[in-house]
Amino acid sequence: MPQAVQHDIAVVDNDLCDSCGLCMPLCPPEAIHMTRRGLVVDATTCTGCEKCIAPCPVGALAMTDARR
Amino acid sequence: MRAVDVLVVGAGPAGCVAAWEAAAAGAGDVLLIERDRAIGAPVRCAEGVGSAGLREFLNPDGADWVSRRISRVILIAPDDTQVALAPGDVGYVLDRTRFEPVLAEEAARAGATIRISTEAVGIERADGAGGGRWRVRLRGPGGEETVGARVVIGADGVETMIGRWAGLETRVAARDMESCAQYVVGNIAFDPDAIYLHFGPTVAPGGYAWIFPKGVGVANVGLGVVTLRGDGRTVRQYLDDYIARHFPGGTVIGLTVGGVISGVTVKRTVADGVILAGDAAHMINPLSGGGIVNAMKAGRLAGRHAARAIREGDTSARNLQAYHDEWMRLLGDAHQKYYRLKETINKFDDAFLNGLARTANRIPDEKRSLGRVIGSALVHHPSLLPIAAQLFL
Ligand SMILES: Cc1cc2nc3c(=O)[nH]c(=O)nc-3n(C[C@H](O)[C@H](O)[C@H](O)COP(=O)(O)OP(=O)(O)OC[C@H]3O[C@@H](n4cnc5c(N)ncnc54)[C@H](O)[C@@H]3O)c2cc1C
Ligand code: SF4
Ligand code: SF4
Repeated sequence: MPQAVQHDIAVVDNDLCDSCGLCMPLCPPEAIHMTRRGLVVDATTCTGCEKCIAPCPVGALAMTDARR
Repeated sequence: MRAVDVLVVGAGPAGCVAAWEAAAAGAGDVLLIERDRAIGAPVRCAEGVGSAGLREFLNPDGADWVSRRISRVILIAPDDTQVALAPGDVGYVLDRTRFEPVLAEEAARAGATIRISTEAVGIERADGAGGGRWRVRLRGPGGEETVGARVVIGADGVETMIGRWAGLETRVAARDMESCAQYVVGNIAFDPDAIYLHFGPTVAPGGYAWIFPKGVGVANVGLGVVTLRGDGRTVRQYLDDYIARHFPGGTVIGLTVGGVISGVTVKRTVADGVILAGDAAHMINPLSGGGIVNAMKAGRLAGRHAARAIREGDTSARNLQAYHDEWMRLLGDAHQKYYRLKETINKFDDAFLNGLARTANRIPDEKRSLGRVIGSALVHHPSLLPIAAQLFL
């Protein structure tokens, strides 16, 4: 666990992500952004609520500790 | 700094028609931008449209942007019982890689300028200065540029940033988001003149599975799931299981994923100098998940009201509110009714839907319209009466 972050945050696997944008309006603090180079989760505003995780059609989102 | 009268962000059906209509209505300098490298691609859609709605905009007869003309609808119950509705002029399965370019060409012919590979990356208020209400930062192949705009039309899809930046509430509750996955599948057997809709909480909880023909033996096969109602599988896993069960010999040629917002229109679709249209404003039929024609109809209203507001010299939210009101009268209010109906249908279990299908199949083939199926369902399943009542509320 990284010490700087108090809670788990969502991370995107850009190899899986298809940039469909589905997860963006689901995020309460609007922490997910789309750029021409791919999807970005803003680590400073993500509250770790996990609302974006299950709806991703391809499972490209995971919480930080669930990755390994 | 370049200044335009109307900046349309996103060249999907909503944005293309908005730019087309704004230019045709004399809005002045209209610029349509699209982040992707090609208008119409990638396709995140099953591409089905109803005949009447489509014909309000373009004539599909003999058009090369039509993949397939559809004359039949086949509903499938969870136990695979098929209910074929009586044939008619149902609609079309489009080729959206060709369809949206045609809409964009119409916009260009009406006088709009179009730029691809160009993304809106931020907006800020510029009240008064240079006549525009907004300064919009664009990023494209030539680097960054700021453009002034009197009206910004946010036609930027489910992920709308224009809505966020303008302070409009465009977030979606998990229960109103259908996660979709779709394969283009070849070498499969089905009726190429029919669309199939497969229902049931075990097939696709909160949504349905579809087979929309692209040609003989080739179809868009996909499903939409409200994952809150699901069993933990990703939607792609739902689809893989569906294909394995129903089309084990099929050849998968393409995958697409996306979100269908099956809620109702956002409360505020306008802000000072901003109009949202299409998926950006959640203008999708919550029962069918269809959004193409809705987006075009909203785009047409958006373009028209942008032109009107500019002509009147007042692009305030108060003056643009007429757009919102007109949309609600046209379709927004009906979507609220469909939404309540969908909530009820979501409560049906597999056994109930299977029974419904058997009842419906007692109606003679040529008389089996959707109205009659509902009518007979009511006679044989009195518990449905409260739902029927909702249709007329
Ligand atoms: C799997 C699936 C199946 C579907 N099947 C059907 C169907 O069969 N029939 C039907 O009617 N509807 C269907 N829909 C819904 C339909 O696809 C949408 O309702 C429709 O595309 C909405 O059109 P739009 O113009 O509002 O948005 P979109 O078509 O999403 O267009 C938005 C555009 O804006 C661009 N954009 C976004 N942000 C920016 C930015 N910052 N700068 C520049 N450009 C930007 C995007 O690249 C995109 O091209 C389906 C949806 C999905 C996901
Ligand atoms: S929902 Fe999944 S695939 Fe779609 S943009 Fe978000 S992370 Fe990417
Ligand atoms: S975990 Fe919650 S806050 Fe973080 S990106 Fe996902 S939806 Fe947003």
